[in-house]
Amino acid sequence: MSLELSAFLTLLVLSVAVPTILFLLLRSSLTDLLRHTLRLQAGVAFYLRSFLLVLFLSALSAAIGTSFDLKSGSPFMEYVWKGGEGMASTLEKTLWFVAIYLVLITILVATLKVKDDK
Amino acid sequence: MTNERYLIASYFVCAALSIALGILVCLYLRRPFASVADAASGKRLSWILKRLLPWGLVFPALLGFVSVSYQSCTRTTYAEIVASRGYLVEKNQEQISSVLLSILVAVLFWDVVVLLILRYAQNGRNGSQLRQMDD
Repeated sequence: MSLELSAFLTLLVLSVAVPTILFLLLRSSLTDLLRHTLRLQAGVAFYLRSFLLVLFLSALSAAIGTSFDLKSGSPFMEYVWKGGEGMASTLEKTLWFVAIYLVLITILVATLKVKDDK
Repeated sequence: MTNERYLIASYFVCAALSIALGILVCLYLRRPFASVADAASGKRLSWILKRLLPWGLVFPALLGFVSVSYQSCTRTTYAEIVASRGYLVEKNQEQISSVLLSILVAVLFWDVVVLLILRYAQNGRNGSQLRQMDD
């Protein structure tokens, strides 16, 4: 296996690991919050599924967009740096989209739960 | 395989992949979305929303795919584009990345739509339906 392919696959695995860990960490709390806010079970399922999609699509979009097209015979560390760049891009994109999702969920809770509490 | 053949094959494979990804995401979200639309909005609106969901995910995926241009500052002619296999692979990666990003934006858009449906339902018109579902 070429060094380029190994570096790309490593980045891909790491990019899948980040959203997986995040989803596992946040899933139960998010489910509780959504159940408390929404009366419809389907609504809870929809928002949970869309959260999973937001995490994976943002991370994979950044990771797949990273190119390892280096000159042949490039030293090992150049691939590591390129992988680091890709990882930075993955984390940045995931962070931004999770932030957008969080804003959305905050609006959801603010608009629907207030009436419920009344 | 020559670079030209690779370009043709990879272009159509990426196009098919973008449509397949849009359909997969649609299938994943379809059932809970349909339940929300059925329970929380009027019959006609629900029908329209359920018909729009597949298009609202497949079109953005295709849009992401076609938005990537093979021409760049350094490569403007067809011969220059086809000259390097690495460049073609890079463009394919860019296409897939753009497809994923477009689907992501579409998913967020549908999140807002569901939020509006739920808000509309809570405002009273179909409150009784929700209570029935709850029971």
